[in-house]
Amino acid sequence: MGVLSWARAKSIWVLHFNSGGCNGCDIEAVAAFTPRFDAERFGVLLVPSPRHADALLVTGPVTKQIKDRLIRIYEQMPEPKFVIAFGTCACTGGVFKGSYSTCGGVDKVIPVDLYIPGCPPKPEALLNGIAELMRRVRGG
Amino acid sequence: MWWIPGALAFFIVFAFFIEWVDRRFVARLQDRYGPIYTGTGGVLQPWADFIKLLSKEDITPAASDKVLFRLAPLVLPIFPIVGLCLTPILGKPIIGFDGDLIVAFFLMSVYTIMIFIAGYGSGNSFGIVGGTRAALQMLGYEVPFALAMIGPAILAGTLSISEIAYSQSNIWYAIPLALGFAVFMVCSLAEVDVVPFDIPHAKQEIVAGWETEYSGRKLALIHLAENLEMVFISALATALFLGGGYGPFSPPIPPAVWFIIKTLIVAIVISNLRAIFARFKIITLVEWSWKYLLPLAIVQLLVLELFFELGVIPWP
Repeated sequence: MGVLSWARAKSIWVLHFNSGGCNGCDIEAVAAFTPRFDAERFGVLLVPSPRHADALLVTGPVTKQIKDRLIRIYEQMPEPKFVIAFGTCACTGGVFKGSYSTCGGVDKVIPVDLYIPGCPPKPEALLNGIAELMRRVRGG
Repeated sequence: MWWIPGALAFFIVFAFFIEWVDRRFVARLQDRYGPIYTGTGGVLQPWADFIKLLSKEDITPAASDKVLFRLAPLVLPIFPIVGLCLTPILGKPIIGFDGDLIVAFFLMSVYTIMIFIAGYGSGNSFGIVGGTRAALQMLGYEVPFALAMIGPAILAGTLSISEIAYSQSNIWYAIPLALGFAVFMVCSLAEVDVVPFDIPHAKQEIVAGWETEYSGRKLALIHLAENLEMVFISALATALFLGGGYGPFSPPIPPAVWFIIKTLIVAIVISNLRAIFARFKIITLVEWSWKYLLPLAIVQLLVLELFFELGVIPWP
């Protein structure tokens, strides 16, 4: 509960990455930053560069084509970093599970800290997930 | 001289405070709340961001120019801090001398050139494009910016920022120099890289522009430099055009209070403009500043000359 964990919990900057989703989750994830939900209240910002990001928000089952890009984006992020799998496809592969062209979930490729199921999850679910992540970062 | 470290600390605290005011104000204009849960009303949000960035991993890309990449974020905050030392923000300047207006202008130019060097040194194609855009837009706004700052210097008959601020006890120079003040504000938007002219880090076009590759404490210092530059430009506008430390009930209220309030108001005006405008194209900025801003700045100087000839304003 030092100053460092307080600062890390209060300032989670999110990079949004679509790993082959149908765009449904992306619309809901971006809606969490609109005036109605306003994730910036908790200090959460949407940043454009992986070098600035603390959390990687992945939507969609990881297709074989985008797998290398996802790993590369993940490795470009500075430590400490968190991965949020947003949507059923990102959590388990969803309806694409067992498909010849997808890996079936983000956790098959990179380590995942937080799963937010739903098809698509509501923006409230993302805010709940962020609150959970903040609680974990503070060590509560 | 015992108060100089306190003044430097005050600049940094004030820079973070202005970032919070800016974020909250823009959020309210957009019908949002902005950061409200970090500290009282979210006032500690910039501190949380700063501490978090200081503690993060610091990546040096293999493709970057190592010396420039390490040096640029370290050097960047120095220019606005030195510039703030020239302005009489705390009643009197820390270093004030005749001709420091030219030094302040030089510091602003070097700040932009340092941004170009930072983008170039990062070795990223987006960084290089962002740095080039910063240098290119400087070609547009710099000349009208300098001409707009000459007006108050002519009226006060001195090139010292603090002397210009002290000589506005009768009338704020924004009134006779309304046109020059407008040109100054437009150019200062380009100088601090806020939205109508945030072309060097256009988030929707070139990832994060010149700061794409910077992470960890380098990014923390870059954000600090941007906030300090905002304070510096606002303080300069206050000193040159808005009467410096003068205000109603000035003898009981110290001039520093009025100066800080006016600086805050200028910063809020800048964030208001940030909220209501969309981004200009780089070609539009350079074209318009040569087509409209530069002639307007020259017209302002001619009008000033006319005032002197007609005897409306006495010669300094």
